[in-house]
Amino acid sequence: MAENKNEYSVEYGDPVGMIAAQSVGEPGTQMILRSFHLAGIESTISTSGLPRIIELVDAKKKPSTPITYIYLDGKIGKDFDKATETLKKINEVRMSSIAKRILENFSKGKIKVVLDKQELESEGITIKQVAAKIDKALNLESKVEDNGVVVNMHTRNLKEIRAATINIMKMLVSGVDGAGKATIRRDDKTGEFYLVSAGSNIEGIMQVEGVDKERTTTNDVFAIYRLFGIEAARNALAFELKKTLKEQKISVDERHLNLIADAMTASGSIKGVGRHGLSGEKHSVFARAAYEETLKHLIHAAAFGEVDPMRGVTENILVGKQIPIGTGSVKLAIKKEDMAKIKPASHK
Amino acid sequence: MTSKSDHELVPVHELLSDKEAKALLQKLNLNIDNLPKIFESDAQAVKLGAKAGQVVKINRREGKRDTSYYRVVVEG
Repeated sequence: MAENKNEYSVEYGDPVGMIAAQSVGEPGTQMILRSFHLAGIESTISTSGLPRIIELVDAKKKPSTPITYIYLDGKIGKDFDKATETLKKINEVRMSSIAKRILENFSKGKIKVVLDKQELESEGITIKQVAAKIDKALNLESKVEDNGVVVNMHTRNLKEIRAATINIMKMLVSGVDGAGKATIRRDDKTGEFYLVSAGSNIEGIMQVEGVDKERTTTNDVFAIYRLFGIEAARNALAFELKKTLKEQKISVDERHLNLIADAMTASGSIKGVGRHGLSGEKHSVFARAAYEETLKHLIHAAAFGEVDPMRGVTENILVGKQIPIGTGSVKLAIKKEDMAKIKPASHK
Repeated sequence: MTSKSDHELVPVHELLSDKEAKALLQKLNLNIDNLPKIFESDAQAVKLGAKAGQVVKINRREGKRDTSYYRVVVEG
């Protein structure tokens, strides 16, 4: 095996980037442009197909459907009840989703939050807990009344009361901020329970007890970059590309995708492949002008006296010179001492 | 110096000594700024205490093969 290794490696001068681009581009034409989601099958739907690929290669700061896969520590992951407990610690619940309505009494300076009993029960939250949360957030005393919480503002200032109401509406009642709605799933192969949430606050989620910090991951590449650095982001990017193509039953050699991920992360941060990323940062003026915004690049180059070393492929095609690929990438030179041995061609 | 991987996605990072870095560049026939980059503020670089100009070796696993990748630490 070791001897064969070199047979599979690329040769010097191989245009690996171009081959990668073609290898991803061709099957990409067969992908579904906009996929339809069937309601009720999955609680968290994610962007897939071509829109997702575009999102990844353009290095969008936030995915349109962030998802976190939360794995649980050994024992918790095997026990459904314990997993559900952890789910409740993570699942993001806002006041607006458990409150039926919020009544403001401006003449008495009171706010009444009417809670939805059914919602409370399904989320496993008691009215007292809600009251305690409001107290802490507003630094006030609130009373529990049959089906809701009454907050006495001790003021009749309309502005203050309205601001407090808006505050209460947006308030986080339980769970992790930015974690999104979480659901429990079961891995069919290992029988392990894991959680899927529709948010990407992976840092906050990892603080929760019982969460496996080594395996918990998200489809938000930038969140991974911020938390674990560029190498993890590169792996996540390659993984997401592979996953998206696999979902569409398209097989592309993973080395092409790894190369794309490598190129996107070579600068130390994640760069898209388009105009504002890799293509826009090419060294050669002609290569940039040949891609997009031709005039802008040419005028800028003329005004600032840019020099094009003509080492790339695009600029050499543009001027009709031999491209530096394969045998074109080597230049021939002759040693001085050999030069002397060559007899000059005789002319008759 | 090696950092323990703290997540599935993070490969093991290793800080090269100046001597090792020099030998590497000679072997690959490269200038130091031809290498891919990693910021000083990068989570893994901070862990290693890497300073700008140093080279970080990354022990990757591609499929069934172990490969190494190198990044030069840059300011930022």
